[in-house]
This record gives sequence, structure tokens and C-alpha cells, in this order.
Amino acid sequence: MSENAAGVAADSAAAAASGGDAPHLCIRGITKNFGAVQALRGVDLEARRGEVTGLVGDNGAGKSTLMKIIAGVERADAGRLLLDGAELAIHSSQAAAAAGIQTVFQDLALCENLDVTANLFLGGETTAGWRWLPRLLRPLRGMAMEQDARQAVTKLQVHTLTSVRAKVGLLSGGQRQAVAIARAIRAESTVVLLDEPTAALGVAQTAQVLDIVRSLRRNRHAVIYVSHNLRDVFSVCDRIAVLRHGAVAGVWQTRATGPDEIVAAMAHGDGGDDGDGAGDGACNGDGDGAGPANPANASPPIS
Amino acid sequence: MNARMHKFQSRLQRMRADDLGQFVPVLASLFVIWAWFGVTEPAFLTARNVHFLLMQSAVVATLAVGVTIVLLIGDIDLSIAAVSGVGAALLAVLVTNLGVPAPLAIFAALAAGALLGFAQGAVIAFVGIPSFVVTLAGLLGFQGLMLKILGIHGALNMRDPMIRGLTTTGIPDWLGWLCAVLLVAFAAAVLLRLNRQRRARGLERMDNGPLLWRIGIFAALVSAATATLNAYRGVPLLMLILGGVIALLWWVTTATPFGRYLFAIGGNAESARRAGIPVRRIRVAAFALVGLVVAFGGIIGASRYASVSFNAFAGGPLLLEAIGAAVIGGTSLFGGRGSVWNAVLGALVIGSLGNGLDLSGAGAADKLMVSGVILLLAVAFDAVTRGRNPQH
Ligand SMILES: Nc1ncnc2c1ncn2[C@@H]1O[C@H](COP(=O)(O)OP(=O)(O)OP(=O)(O)O)[C@@H](O)[C@H]1O
Ligand SMILES: [Mg+2]
Repeated sequence: MSENAAGVAADSAAAAASGGDAPHLCIRGITKNFGAVQALRGVDLEARRGEVTGLVGDNGAGKSTLMKIIAGVERADAGRLLLDGAELAIHSSQAAAAAGIQTVFQDLALCENLDVTANLFLGGETTAGWRWLPRLLRPLRGMAMEQDARQAVTKLQVHTLTSVRAKVGLLSGGQRQAVAIARAIRAESTVVLLDEPTAALGVAQTAQVLDIVRSLRRNRHAVIYVSHNLRDVFSVCDRIAVLRHGAVAGVWQTRATGPDEIVAAMAHGDGGDDGDGAGDGACNGDGDGAGPANPANASPPIS
Repeated sequence: MNARMHKFQSRLQRMRADDLGQFVPVLASLFVIWAWFGVTEPAFLTARNVHFLLMQSAVVATLAVGVTIVLLIGDIDLSIAAVSGVGAALLAVLVTNLGVPAPLAIFAALAAGALLGFAQGAVIAFVGIPSFVVTLAGLLGFQGLMLKILGIHGALNMRDPMIRGLTTTGIPDWLGWLCAVLLVAFAAAVLLRLNRQRRARGLERMDNGPLLWRIGIFAALVSAATATLNAYRGVPLLMLILGGVIALLWWVTTATPFGRYLFAIGGNAESARRAGIPVRRIRVAAFALVGLVVAFGGIIGASRYASVSFNAFAGGPLLLEAIGAAVIGGTSLFGGRGSVWNAVLGALVIGSLGNGLDLSGAGAADKLMVSGVILLLAVAFDAVTRGRNPQH
């Protein structure tokens, strides 16, 4: 695994320099209605490994709904998700996690009555031996998890978060957000979705999260970064997609655009320079039938 | 709310967040009740009365421990008394009428309880009807089932020596002391070893001083209980069995992924679902486990009363006392907080109140009213300490 990680790290610089390669995650024609509300009307988007794709749009544009669909929390009415060209059947959050997709939700999705460690490992607890028992009844390895949790939290440099045994319900909004981020980057993944991950963070912690996003890029993750803060978006994203009324209004290379153009697109929906990439061969390539994501291919959690 | 109230509330919340802090309120009320009746009723703290108090509380405690499991996930089970009645009735019919060997009949009663719980859990989780409604239907239906099993007389005797022995056996004094010493030594060894391991890993830990204090207090309580019980009929066998069962449930609910998921679902079911927890299956398993535990409570009841009658299980009192005990013990009705030991302590509060008021010649009316006030206080305390509420 570590050998693999080293190899991945070595060619990530090249990939980033060339502006990314074939799309890793392809979103095709995703549609979602909530009763009479058309939240998404045929979204096409792709995310490449080693690249951060910004996703911006007004309140209610459908950004969070799209993230939830990719994360397996909501089901799309129509449309497809492809990972490295293979059709993904994501019907649950377990399936998304198994495919290597990790998410920081806008509402964080933490359990306030549990402590930081329990939240970090929720659903993926490490258990000790006792193989004759079903997994659900094996003893938790509490101390090992606590140690890992401390490392994960230390990395985020939220200095006020001193105890991983604190109940999340007693933490501040920013501290909770840090816990949610630590949770997403701890697990093995190739795709990381961040839905307004810095909304409640202070200046230093925001910088820290942006650094984490960059290190995710270095580790060849495909990152989708949702934010209303255009300064952050421009500083960390390689491409910026504008979502407007439930459809992608355009995608721009960050280097080739400016905030004015993005704001105009959010308001009026003028097209981008990158097109919608619909003609991309890798996305429609159902020929090789690669099957579900190979776990051996997954990037390690960043460290 | 003014500032002082806020400060008070946040101190209470922090106390609730502490591992041992959640036992403080119920232990305090227990202490007050025991002190009050200890002074006013000379008979209250005698060995004989303590023995009977514990035996009287056993069925309620078992049912309270059972219902705690679904209270943790934010559900409720109103059918616990009826399910335990079905278990007891089945046991009585099998043993008394059909001559089935006791162990086999016990197994059948436990299986029936688990099955009824499983069925209710499946309807709740997969059809999506609130647990309150489903288990209310269960309460009615299973009372009917119990009547059917018992036949027209509505009562059956239980004379089987093994089943009777469950609640009539006291272990010899020396064995009682041996168990007490082993229990304290085991607890101390586990706690000290954990603390040493935490230090080796550089994790937060308690200083050895407070730890030794706690072990000392625990040892004193265990010794006092053993000495008291030995002064009458010895430590009841039932206490050892029940203690073992509850300790096992404690382990399952706190030290396994299953237990962690109970708390997670009770805390925030949607977050639990997004974390990949199989929420529905956990709910079904929780209700099945409740059925199993309360059927065991029914067996204890059958053994203690030497008979199984409709009135001992049906109707209101047993159900309400069990849920009241769980809540008075400190388990939240809102889900996500509590422990099986809280249920045991809550059952002792209710049992002590009933016993003490009986001794002082109070009528049923006084008992009900005092129980109501205590329950209200417990729920109010729960609401005040619910934790930071994002709406505020
Ligand atoms: N569970 C739901 N039920 C009904 N309508 C919903 C639901 N979730 C989202 N919507 C609607 O779908 C639309 C898109 O919502 P979404 O949360 O995706 O917006 P967003 O782009 O994330 O906005 P924001 O920037 O405010 O987070 C909104 O009109 C919202 O009201
Ligand atoms: Mg949103």
C-alpha cells in the first residue's frame, strides 16, 4: 500500500501540471424533483483525479442535492454516475463509501450525543479479533481509535479542540465542522465532496482546510468543493462549475476566468469555456466494463 | 432564560456528559429515600426488608433494562409487560400443563419473547409506523395472546423446583463473600489495567487517586450489600444471574459496534444513516433484544409469584413502573443517552418508594402520587440537560 502511495504521489505533480487527465467521476444527466420543486434538471459534470472542481451557485441552486446524490444519501430520479468509465450503482451511503466517495455534508451529519472519536469512526469502527462473533458484536478497539482520532484532529490544527472525548454537541460550530472534515479525509477514498466545509471556520482554520484540499489534490483525489466564498474557490480550485436553477451553466478553467465572470454566470447563466464535456470518451466508455472501483486503486488517507 | 439559569443548566449538562455524572441524580434520590425511610421506619433498613426490596424490584428492573435498549434509539416499547406475560404464560403452560422439562420451557419462553419483539421491530422499521403505535397494538394483542395461552382460568400455578429455585435460592455466606471479593478484584484489575494502557498510549486518563477512591467506594458498597444479605438468607442466586445478564447487556450496549449504533441512531438517525449504519436492521435487532430480555423478566415473575396470572402482567402498573424506572434512572426519552445500570437504579428508587410507603402505612393513592412527582422531576431533569439545542 505504501509503495503504491509513493508511486501515486510521484506522478501527481505531473498530472496537476498537465491540468488533469481523463475524468475520474462523471455525472451525467442527473435529475431530481422534490414534489413540484425541480432541484436538479439534467446535471452534467466531471471531476478528475488530482484536480479540485469548484461548484458555485446561488442558494437553492441544487449544489447540496447533487452532493447528496453522489454520496448515496438521496436517489436521483434519472441520470448516471460513472467512475473511471464504469457505471456506479450508488443506492446507499455504504455503496458510496465502498466506491471510494467521502463527503462532508453541509449540515455535517454528526451525532451530537457521541464524542469526537465515535463520530470520526462512525460506521467504520475498528474491532478486535473475536472472529467467531458477528462484526456488530465484537469488542470495539476504543483506545486505538482514540489515538487515531487525536492524530486526525491534530492535523486540522483546531487548537481549542483539546479532547477527542468531548461530546460533539458541546463543541462550537467550527469545531464540529473540523470533526466532519477529519472524518471524511480519514477514510480511504478517491473522491472527496466538500459542501461548504469552511462556512463556520475562522481565518486560520479556513486556511488549514484549504491546505487539506490541496494535499488531497496532491494525493490524486478528485475533489468537488462547494462554497459561496469566491476567494477561497479561486485560490484552491482548478476548474469552476456554476450551477444555476438545477443545471450546469458552464465550467471555467480557474486561470482563464475571474470572479466577475463567475458572478455573472451565477446570475444570468452565460456558458463557460470548458463546455459541459459531454463528448468525453472516457465517460461513455462502457466498453471495458471495469466494474466497481478496485480498492487497491484507492488513494491512502492523507497523512 | 436568565444568565444564572443558563450557568446552572450548562453545569448540569457537563455533569450529564461525564461517564459517572449520569448516575449522580438517581443515586442522590436513592440516598435521600433510604435516609428518609431509614430514619422514619425502623424496619426499612433491616436485612430482611432489604432482601425483600431487592426481590420485589427484580421484575421491574429487568423490564426497565429491556426497554432502555429501545429508549436509546429514541423509540419506545409499550408491549414489554404484555410480552413478558406471554413468556411467563408459555412457561407455565409448558411446565405445569404439558410437563415439558424446565430448561426447554425457559428456552421456548425466551424465544417467544424475542420473536414477538422481532415482529414488532420489523413493522416499525420496514413499514415505517411509529413504535408508540405498533407497540400499543402489541400491548393489546399480546395481552389477548396471554389470556389465550392461560385458558379460561386466567392463572396457572408454578411448582417446578428449578424455576422456583431461581428466586428462592440464597447462596451460602462464604460463597457470597467469595463472589463479592472476586467482583471487586475484577473491577479493580480492569480499571487499573485500562488506566495503565491509556498512559502507555499517551491518552487522557484519570489520576490514580480518584480511581482508587472509586474502587474503594465500590468495594464498600459491595461489602455492605453482602453483609446485609448474608444476615438474612444469603445473597440471592437471582441477584448473581440478573447481575450477569445486565453486565452482559451493558457490554453489548457500550463496547460493541451494535451498542454504538444504538446511541448514534438515538442521537441523530439521519446522520447514522449517512454514516452507513444499517438503521432499520439495528432497530429490528433492538426490539428483538427487548423481547428476549423482558421474557426473561416474565420467567423471574413466574418464579417469584409461584404462579402466572393475567393480572400480574396485564393492565398498567408493571409497564408504567418499568418505563418510569428507566426514565427516573436517567435514560433519556428523547434517545441517545442512558445506560442499563440507570434502569436498575431507577427500579430501586421505585421499589424503595413503594416498600417504604407500604411500611409507613401509606395507601395506594399516596404511592401513585409520589411516584408521579418523582417521574415528573426525572423527565424535567432530562429535558433541562438535553444538551445544547441548535434552535436557541
Ligand atoms: N428534502 C427536500 N425536500 C424538498 N425540497 C428540497 C429538499 N432538499 C432540497 N430541496 C429543494 O431543492 C432545491 C435545491 O436545494 P439545495 O439544498 O440543493 O440547494 P443549495 O444549492 O445547496 O443551496 P445553499 O447554497 O443554500 O446550500 C431547493 O429549492 C430546496 O428547497
Ligand atoms: Mg447547500
